[in-house]
Amino acid sequence: MITVRDVRKTFPARNGNAATLALQDVNLAIGTDEFVSIVGPSGCGKTTLLRMIAGLALPDAGVLEIDGLPVTGPGPDRAVVFQQFALLPWATVADNIAFGLELRGMARAERLAAADGLIHAMGLRGFERHYPRQLSGGMQQRVGLARALAVNPAILLMDEPFASVDAQTRRTLQDDLLKLAERSRKTIVFVTHDIDEAVRLADRVMLMSPRPGRIVESLTVPLPRPRPDDLDLAPEAIRLKAYLWQQLRGMQQAPPPASLP
Amino acid sequence: MTKNQRTHRNLRLGSLALFCAGWELLARSLSSMFVPSFLDTAGAFLQLVSTRPFWHAIWISHQAFVLGFAGAVVVGTTLGLAMGRWRAVEGLCEPYVHLLLATPIAAVIPVIILAVGLGLAARALVVFLFAAAVIVVNTRAGLKTIEPAWIDMARGFGATEMQLWRRVLIPGALPAMMAGYYLGLGRALTGMIAVELLLVAVGIGRMILDYQGMFAADLLYATVVFVTGEAVLLLGAVRWLERRITPWNDQVTVE
Repeated sequence: MITVRDVRKTFPARNGNAATLALQDVNLAIGTDEFVSIVGPSGCGKTTLLRMIAGLALPDAGVLEIDGLPVTGPGPDRAVVFQQFALLPWATVADNIAFGLELRGMARAERLAAADGLIHAMGLRGFERHYPRQLSGGMQQRVGLARALAVNPAILLMDEPFASVDAQTRRTLQDDLLKLAERSRKTIVFVTHDIDEAVRLADRVMLMSPRPGRIVESLTVPLPRPRPDDLDLAPEAIRLKAYLWQQLRGMQQAPPPASLP
Repeated sequence: MTKNQRTHRNLRLGSLALFCAGWELLARSLSSMFVPSFLDTAGAFLQLVSTRPFWHAIWISHQAFVLGFAGAVVVGTTLGLAMGRWRAVEGLCEPYVHLLLATPIAAVIPVIILAVGLGLAARALVVFLFAAAVIVVNTRAGLKTIEPAWIDMARGFGATEMQLWRRVLIPGALPAMMAGYYLGLGRALTGMIAVELLLVAVGIGRMILDYQGMFAADLLYATVVFVTGEAVLLLGAVRWLERRITPWNDQVTVE
């Protein structure tokens, strides 16, 4: 259970930029084993919110708790999947996947054995000894996902994980994630700017306002699990996506231009 | 060795042979006592390396080189890493590194001799000053190329500061650090010879000056060839080491 109450986050002034209020009055609750996606206009602070849940940044005010305990830093219950994969270029696929286990002090043989199962599950067999730059973007993100799963986190935090791969690969990765979410019990927080993706994957979609970001709406996705193959054609999905689009468009129009020449 | 590599090697050897032949012809057509032919130089070279005083001079020069370059590697790497990681250290040291990078060190040699004397310490210090700045700036640049996401990722897995250094920061900076050592090595060799030519006449510099004074052009050329050859070998060794310890750097995409 992730609880966020009245959270505020400001980034201090730096390099001539004024201080920015990134998040204000953020309130949300995510249940255990729930799959939630967070959508919002770019720059609304989605990633900042995710980083705070990960413990990589701390709120300036408000309460951020996991299972009733305040978040003071990263923890073994959480793992992050990054947009740009964040793979270590000098480590092989196997060593990248085992990296979290390595930091926890697991012996090399043991952690490589643990990584091996994920290498198989992620379809990376045969690439264990490759370096990340020898892989396509889609495969790199499979490594990123495998690395997060290797530490067996209760909470998987995904920051626009499929935004940097081509459309076809994105579709495949989404399908894999759906299977994973339906098979294993995990809380998943999925940040994206892609409404189709948010609706396809999540149990619930949270909509954020432009900066300073806050959660303006939380919508349950009225689709069964496992998700049907033709879910993009389901009228409920189409209606929900249309609604979300409308809301997002409204936000982008909301602040009128300061002056016109 | 692939066909491509073989062709490349043959081209390089051919180019070298062409250079030697050109040198031989030019020297013969000039027939000046100041320009020895390639074959004369090669003969003098063989004669030189079979004498004890030659190796003694090499030993004298390289004491300063080894001490100065090792010091530059240790200090330069440490300072570069600290400057890349902590803004406060960067702010404090930045002006001096810039100064060191901008100063023609050769011009400062007399100052160093006045302050430190004519001994090994002064020569080692000159070598150090020649090499240190490029090592500092390259090491720092290496840290700056590290993606913030790598640090986030490691921190997310609970990395301590020590683990962060050993597992992310140093491996990430390594390619740039190696480039710094490569450049620093070349400069250190320059420093080693420069100080001996300009002020402290010992070692290889002394030999060069002596042969110049005696108009022993073939021995002079042979000495220069030796020094050049050594530099080429040492720089080649650093390149080889670089490929060995940063193999991810020249892997090609298989897509």
